[in-house]
Amino acid sequence: MAEPDLDEQLFRFTFTGRAGEYFRIWIISLCLSLVTLGVYSAWGKVRKRRYLYAHTKLDGTGFDYRASPLAILRGRALALLLFGGFALSGHFVPAIQWIFIALLLVLSPWIVVAAARFNARNSTYRNIAFSFDGSVREAAWIFVGGAGLSILTLGLAYPWYRMRRARFIIAHHRYGATHFATDLQAGGFVLTYLFAGLILAGAFAILVGAGIALSTGTDAAASPAEETSLAGLAVIAVVYIVYVAVYAYIRSRTLNLMANATIIGPMRLRGTLRARRLAWLYLSNIVAVLATLGIATPWATIRVAAYRADNIYARANAPLQTYRSGVPTHATATGSEVSDMFDVDVSL
Amino acid sequence: MCRYELPAGFVMSSAFEGILYDGRSAMGRPVLVEIENARLAIVYDGTRAVVAQSDVRVDAPVPGVSRRLMLPGGAAIESDDRAAVEALWPAEDPLSRSAFWLESRWSAAIGAVLLTAALVWIIIADVLPLAAEPVARSIGPRIEQAIGAQALKSIDATFAKPSQLPAARRREIEREFAAFTDGEPGLGDVDLEFRRMGGPNAFALPGNTIVVTDEMVKFAEDDDELLAALAHELGHLRYQHAMRLVLQKSGIAVLITAIAGDAAGMTFLAAAIPAAVLNASYSREFELEADRYAYGHLLRHERSPRALARLFRRFAQQQHPADPSDPLARYLGSHPGIEERIRLAEEAAN
Repeated sequence: MAEPDLDEQLFRFTFTGRAGEYFRIWIISLCLSLVTLGVYSAWGKVRKRRYLYAHTKLDGTGFDYRASPLAILRGRALALLLFGGFALSGHFVPAIQWIFIALLLVLSPWIVVAAARFNARNSTYRNIAFSFDGSVREAAWIFVGGAGLSILTLGLAYPWYRMRRARFIIAHHRYGATHFATDLQAGGFVLTYLFAGLILAGAFAILVGAGIALSTGTDAAASPAEETSLAGLAVIAVVYIVYVAVYAYIRSRTLNLMANATIIGPMRLRGTLRARRLAWLYLSNIVAVLATLGIATPWATIRVAAYRADNIYARANAPLQTYRSGVPTHATATGSEVSDMFDVDVSL
Repeated sequence: MCRYELPAGFVMSSAFEGILYDGRSAMGRPVLVEIENARLAIVYDGTRAVVAQSDVRVDAPVPGVSRRLMLPGGAAIESDDRAAVEALWPAEDPLSRSAFWLESRWSAAIGAVLLTAALVWIIIADVLPLAAEPVARSIGPRIEQAIGAQALKSIDATFAKPSQLPAARRREIEREFAAFTDGEPGLGDVDLEFRRMGGPNAFALPGNTIVVTDEMVKFAEDDDELLAALAHELGHLRYQHAMRLVLQKSGIAVLITAIAGDAAGMTFLAAAIPAAVLNASYSREFELEADRYAYGHLLRHERSPRALARLFRRFAQQQHPADPSDPLARYLGSHPGIEERIRLAEEAAN
């Protein structure tokens, strides 16, 4: 922790996007994407992201997303090929699925690095671009090695692996010429996942107990096609709520840990996200999106973005002007698109 | 490129405010941009820098997003005066111009909601079922068998127990079933499996397998009824309903991800929703199609579809008491309109 500094200044993140305005961009993007069989989605993605970036403000100035839709479209074509193969093969021959998983495993370090590079290079703040200089080799060690170790230790190494992943992503980012630094430690991650595991185990025990009580009460004559009874639906709903709540808990805790460990030159980030609040946001968003058949999706996006911005701030002992630009780097869009489709969550 | 040619002799003059970022440091300088005769004068703290308007590139307009002017040399001006920038550099690229126009009005948004809803409906109701059929047909029998074997294995591991029917009875049914399916066009060798599952049921798995429960064998009052139930399952096999259902559900999952995937926490929904709700409407059509197949198959083997009607009627009588307590089952209706199915079967018999 940095010692208190008399010159230290507080820089707030704010989010100024409005649901109505974003809704129009979102629905036009969705509609045109359907009409053009997905081709417009690349343009839609850039426009949506430009809106969200521009309204995410640090010290009153918005961020800027400058990716070329054509680069994204190229990436999407490749991602579709991979994803299509994966989705189809999964249903048909388990063996092919394994080949695709192996292929993805081999490609995943490149996907992660390329995605981070593309996103960083196309994100600017005050006309200075971010960049990412992590190597595929290091990513391979962490992602393939870490995932393998997690499996070998039956999940015990998983929190450590997640911490190493976050550290890799953060430490290789730059803003202009300024390298990010991180003093992220495994302890916080281990505690977070341990607690999340305990919640899951407890909820599971309660559900099994309730399930036994239920099944002994009724004659178990339901055929597999008729699982639509109210009790069954209630159990599914409870499992879902627990799942989302645990996800929100892990997300808020790890975001705070990552933010608190991030140092960008004279600046240190700080996260104050609350698990309960985030879980409420996620669950109410899901209900709203379901009830409106998807219409509330942009509103849900805006709410989460606003909450996240309100709960991350920066302390710096020098004005933001002191940041300088760096050397531009090259990046392709494919990595970002592939990771988008597979929801590889590698962002801060 | 935005090149905005003014007629010779025309003098245009305006000014707007912005913040200049030189691209070398994060320092922002508030500037006044004055335009005169296709030239920009950037005024900052008493100094003036002049740039030709045609050397300035602007970003594509997005509603509610401040505009960025990219100056030669890597500097940029961000301005909230979107109207002034739009007037000076009207978007030339037709795609971003149309997108901006559409995104700027509620009438277009409402139109887009209606069009999207119509498209989603057409995709779910017509396009996916239409597309799933040839895809299902192109899947080889070995692949289907692998899926079917996998499904049977997981059923055995969860809720199925070995059959307790006497071996003689099983052999008798198998013999009758073999005669029933022998030489039928569009059906290969169909494998009949017996299981005990706590309730009368029969179902078809990919790879030409039909599972029938002990309870079903006992529930049928005679072999006509049992074969009627099996004929219905043969219909599911004949039209590859299981395979098509999987394909259609995958399509819906992709669609839901496209619609709601943006919002955090929504991704898990994509898998859950099609399984829970949309399943029902598809299987309704499949049930009716399998019924229609069963009438023809029964008639070809000199048996009456009336047996199917009898079976359905007893099903309905047995299940009815449970129905009112379970409004959701009725609403989702995975076995819909049993009365209608009885009526159709009786009509087919006449």
